[in-house]
Amino acid sequence: MHRHPPINPGAPDAVVVHDLHKSFGPLEVLKGVSLTAKEGSVVTLIGSSGSGKSTLLRCINLLEVPDRGRIVIGGEEIGLTTKRGRTIPADQRQVERIRTRLGMVFQSFNLWTHMTILENVIEAPIHVLGVPRAEAVDRARKLLDKVGILSKADAYPVQLSGGQQQRAAIARALAMQPKVMLFDEPTSALDPELVGEVLLVIRQLADEGNTMVMVTHEMGFAREVSTEVVFLHQGRIEEQGPPDRVLVTPESERVRQFLSRHLGTA
Amino acid sequence: MNWDIMISSVPTLLSGVPLTVQLVGLGEILGLVIACLATWGRLSGNLAAVGVSRLYVFVFRGTPLLVQIYLIYYGLGQFPAVRESVLWPILREPYWCAILALALNTGAYTSEILRGAILTIPHGQVEAARACGMGRWLTFRRIIVPIAIRQALPAYGNEIILMVKASSLASIITLLEITGLARRLIPQTYAVFEIFIVAGLIYLGLNFAIAQAVRWAEWRLTPHLRARA
Repeated sequence: MHRHPPINPGAPDAVVVHDLHKSFGPLEVLKGVSLTAKEGSVVTLIGSSGSGKSTLLRCINLLEVPDRGRIVIGGEEIGLTTKRGRTIPADQRQVERIRTRLGMVFQSFNLWTHMTILENVIEAPIHVLGVPRAEAVDRARKLLDKVGILSKADAYPVQLSGGQQQRAAIARALAMQPKVMLFDEPTSALDPELVGEVLLVIRQLADEGNTMVMVTHEMGFAREVSTEVVFLHQGRIEEQGPPDRVLVTPESERVRQFLSRHLGTA
Repeated sequence: MNWDIMISSVPTLLSGVPLTVQLVGLGEILGLVIACLATWGRLSGNLAAVGVSRLYVFVFRGTPLLVQIYLIYYGLGQFPAVRESVLWPILREPYWCAILALALNTGAYTSEILRGAILTIPHGQVEAARACGMGRWLTFRRIIVPIAIRQALPAYGNEIILMVKASSLASIITLLEITGLARRLIPQTYAVFEIFIVAGLIYLGLNFAIAQAVRWAEWRLTPHLRARA
């Protein structure tokens, strides 16, 4: 069976979140979660729906602003402040700068529908990073080739299958040359027969040593590519550790119940 | 039916087309600026700006254009402050009063069209922009505006056509656009039916051209929808 190569335990921390709290109205979704992803590691967040795993992922790039807690990306802490009882980023420019180092892949792809695939991939490098157009196009073509959809460069998102759209979205995220890739259930919106092609691309990225934080329901895949699996339950970390331990011989009864519902996939 | 009168009225009525086009064109340009401001105010989240925008739309969408034209042309001059202001040379001209009324009227409708278009933009498209580090202005310019224009175009084309027809009310305040010229021909010929048929056909031709232009713009701007077929 395929396994992620061991990571250097002395590697610097790429992502650190500390004691994260987040409520939506009266609903407390995160109740103090801490997590570290070292450079080169693949941290997978699992748990039932409503456990807070997607919210945790979306807090890392501030798509959700936590009520409390610390987020440190590549050694730089994101400044948070309170205004009229609400927590907001202290410096929106810092958030935008840090987001350029975090590539996000969404469950529903979220490709810009009015642009071709190539235009989707070069948009942010040109307009956010200031990369010259020719260079951005050149790099985009290489990335589209890498994810296997170079022939679709001039097509519009609606012309692509879900799997192709998600691979385009991965290329769009990679085009920013991010330090960390964030995947929010990247295969959950796909027809079963299209899941494999997307997982193949993600696995390749893991093998190349990219740092990744991923929310997924694909237990078999999580076991193969992860360096660490984190099980969330009702806004808290229930169990975390190497995939072979958490997914095969978990200590927690809740994890065992969760895995038995996903039987055959681990 | 008197064909001779119809044919001989054509050149006269056509000479009103440039004025009609000016009223609609300038009214639309000014109206679009007003509409953008009103939409921005309405979506700003600032309570005062939201209130002003809503009041503006409520008033100008809820009252007849004819009443607005009368109020602006005959009403404003009653105030000494208006007569003494630097704007008076403009506000005493029926031409500018008509354009102002048309602009304020269409601005109210257009701001609702724009607001609707912006609100229907899928949140994921905006979130994807934020996630790769785009700021508010860049997201607005590169993602929200292009998508919103495509959404708004059919309804906006409709609004331009309504404006062409509404511009005929400018004849009430002495402007000799198509309808104004037609009204002036009546006492000379007593051929109400013939002359207004010609006037109607000219409006029909104008609106046909506008509808084609809007269709062309839609076609040009939506290759991603065409591609689906």
